[in-house]
Amino acid sequence: MKRVPFHLIPLLALLLFAGCAVPPAPEVRKPEPSANTAVVSLLSEAHAHKSAGRHEPAGASLERALRIEPRNPVLWQELALVRLEQGNYPQAENLAAKSNALAGDSRPLRAQNWRIIGEARSRRGDHQGAQAAFEQAGSR
Amino acid sequence: MPKRRSSIKRSLLIVLFFFALGVLFVAAAFTLHLDAAVRERFEGKRFALPAKVYARPLELYPGLQLRPSELVAELALLGYRATSQPRDPATYRWGEQTLELVTRPFVFGDGPQAAISVRVEFHAGKVEKLLDLEKDQPLYLVRLDPALIGGIYPGDNEDRILVRLEEVPQKVVDALIAVEDRRFYSHRGIDPRGIARALVTTARGGAVQGGSTVTQQLVKNFYLTSERTLRRKFTEMVMAILLEVRYSKEEILETYLNEVYLAQDGNRAIHGIGLASSYFFDKPVGHLTVQEAALLVGMLKGPSYYSPRRHPQRALERRNLVLAQMAGEGYIGAEELRAARAAPLGVLERPPRGTSPHPAFLSLVHRQLRRDYRDQDLRSEGLQILTTLDPRVQRAAESALSRRLAQLENGRGMKSGTLQGALVVTSTQSAEVQAVVGGRDARVEGFNRALDARRPIGSLIKPVLYLTALQQAHSYTLATLLDDSPLVLKQAGSADWEPQNYDKAFHGQVPLRVALMNSYNVSAARLGLDVGIPRIMANVRLLGVERHLPEHPSSVLGVNALSPLEVAQIYQTIAGGGFRMPLRTIREVLTADGEPLQRYPLHVEQVVDPAPLHLVTVAMQDVVRQGTGRGLSAYLPPGVEVAAKTGTTNDFRDSWFAGFTGDRLAVAWVGRDDNQPAGLTGSSGAMTVWGEMMASLHPEPLILVPPDNIEYAWIDPASGLLSADWCRDAVQLPFIKGSAPTEPAPCGPRPPAGRSIRNWFKRIFE
Repeated sequence: MKRVPFHLIPLLALLLFAGCAVPPAPEVRKPEPSANTAVVSLLSEAHAHKSAGRHEPAGASLERALRIEPRNPVLWQELALVRLEQGNYPQAENLAAKSNALAGDSRPLRAQNWRIIGEARSRRGDHQGAQAAFEQAGSR
Repeated sequence: MPKRRSSIKRSLLIVLFFFALGVLFVAAAFTLHLDAAVRERFEGKRFALPAKVYARPLELYPGLQLRPSELVAELALLGYRATSQPRDPATYRWGEQTLELVTRPFVFGDGPQAAISVRVEFHAGKVEKLLDLEKDQPLYLVRLDPALIGGIYPGDNEDRILVRLEEVPQKVVDALIAVEDRRFYSHRGIDPRGIARALVTTARGGAVQGGSTVTQQLVKNFYLTSERTLRRKFTEMVMAILLEVRYSKEEILETYLNEVYLAQDGNRAIHGIGLASSYFFDKPVGHLTVQEAALLVGMLKGPSYYSPRRHPQRALERRNLVLAQMAGEGYIGAEELRAARAAPLGVLERPPRGTSPHPAFLSLVHRQLRRDYRDQDLRSEGLQILTTLDPRVQRAAESALSRRLAQLENGRGMKSGTLQGALVVTSTQSAEVQAVVGGRDARVEGFNRALDARRPIGSLIKPVLYLTALQQAHSYTLATLLDDSPLVLKQAGSADWEPQNYDKAFHGQVPLRVALMNSYNVSAARLGLDVGIPRIMANVRLLGVERHLPEHPSSVLGVNALSPLEVAQIYQTIAGGGFRMPLRTIREVLTADGEPLQRYPLHVEQVVDPAPLHLVTVAMQDVVRQGTGRGLSAYLPPGVEVAAKTGTTNDFRDSWFAGFTGDRLAVAWVGRDDNQPAGLTGSSGAMTVWGEMMASLHPEPLILVPPDNIEYAWIDPASGLLSADWCRDAVQLPFIKGSAPTEPAPCGPRPPAGRSIRNWFKRIFE
């Protein structure tokens, strides 16, 4: 099999997107998670723990960050992701909902939270609930 | 008959032989038994170590609201010393708007943290910059070591700081040997000369006493009761010999120095030379001077009789006697002796805190720990408990309560000490308990009102009542008119119930929002009966009080008794936007060696739909803006937008205030222990305590994020109908989508045509 030339990949991706029912997402630059350097450094510490599979320390770093910025929806979302990876689905879902409650009208953040909720529900076996959550994610 | 005689002789010999064998066997068994006992205690954990309880570590970062004076207070709590050149851990230097410090190393749950040398620069009440002085680069986050705030002591209440022999100055050992056991290094556990002296005393009819070597004293303290019999003395000697066979002189000496009893601090027993040096001189054992060493060793003979705090003259004479004996043995020279004898006792007037300065918080920590740990382990394993206590908040809470209660008594001509109170402070979003005050004298470990005083909560129940109503969005909104006309509830078997308003008046038709704002009772009671008491109480459970509460019609006006801590849990869920988080006091538990044992992670559960809760919270902000809590403006600027509720119970027995800012939630209670009327309303009593405390903590404003199914509409309050921003008295209120009234008030939006004509006129005349 011949390998797809590199310059064709974006085009293929575009075609793939075009084939979907949902309109292609506008390119969203990830918002800066926080203006507070301490929070940013704790967040990257949490990421390092998480990618090494150290979930509890990752959670601990995020909780430290949350003590500094308790109303930052990004931090609640990150904690939801850690719990999701740990297999703690009820907490993943509740934390994502908490993030939503603080997210205001940040659409990408809300959509991601609904995806986490959907994922948590589907892994828990609640497929109907998952479907509803994914629809919420898509509608926003 | 020679043959017969010899056979008798023979059997006698056999009997004797077996008797001797038996004695030997018994002696061997006894020795073995004692040997096992000696080893068991020495091989295992020799001492029960109390759990150590720490406050939260202060985290410094650029942008943190912190005044230099507050950092200095924290450093004082941590026992940091001011020096001209901070190099050693736990030292600092205060410059102009800068503070240089070296942190103390500490093992946290995420691993050991070495000492950090850092410069903190302040600007306008904030930390502006952190600089690593070694690497000369900026730091984003510096975590100080946490302050020790108390211990959970073994059943015998023994407290000690273990020391290794290498840490103990030679002078302490010298003094001990000079006074207690001169031949310590040459005897084998017992000292024959000492025994001879003791026997003579005993033979003369004196008590069995004296002649004990250090080894024997250790055996006595460690293994035996204080009973004084010859048999016990014999056991003690055998065990002393066994101890010496088994273990080195150094091990025996080290254990002895850690074991000895030196003082009593309340019900806490001060053991060991390590804790004694901190208890009497506030210094580590390695820094003891020769006269201090002599004092401590001298006290061993009678710790209370020679107590330097209670009997300084006696203690001084005893100390000088020890010094003389040290000189006699050649441990110190004449010059050193003279200087040491001339020195004052040098004992701190007040011992450094050992029992916790914040017993109310500590008892809550202890209760939470007992769910997961055996009490025995808490009191012996030397566990390290990292808690959520914020010393700054705790101090603010303690002083606000004691000061305000004294002022209230003064202003009302009450006898001093009449009033009592309690406070619980938490962080709104993480549900960490930052402070607990169980009474006006916070140092005294006594009745903990924050946890154990259950009092009727009065109108503090109302946010739950209105939440229950607003959950039925088709029936109730903030604009719904409630009936505040006289109400009589006839109940079989009991007197009629006729709720009254505080002002003894009835207010006719009142908007729901205003009824909560002004805490009207009659309309609230009628509403409660409409929505149903069981529903309201089910919400109380959902919000966090799992204990069964009796349900009466008067439950709707807060006849149920709760503790301030339970109220805090309810309001926590309200502040958390319907997400219940169990109040936490513990972050993590480490072993004595700093190995993480257990973390208590944040736990959230969405229990209530955020939209109706948002409406309640907005109305609670109106309580402070225009309602029963408006007096709070004397303490906090309006920009803080506090959401709160006042509570007053029958005959002014209980004064409550519960509410939250952007970052903290607090519940205050004021009343009397004998449950007599205190003469205070929620706003004249508890609210002033709450306000004074919050004011000193630079609160963050409460900025609510409306859930996405909330919309705003202009309302005519008198009719509850749709109005518009140009109408008189119109108020803009939040509604759950689709629940806002559609019928227009006399002045209100017109059908499109009418409106455009009106706008056209408006344009012309403006």
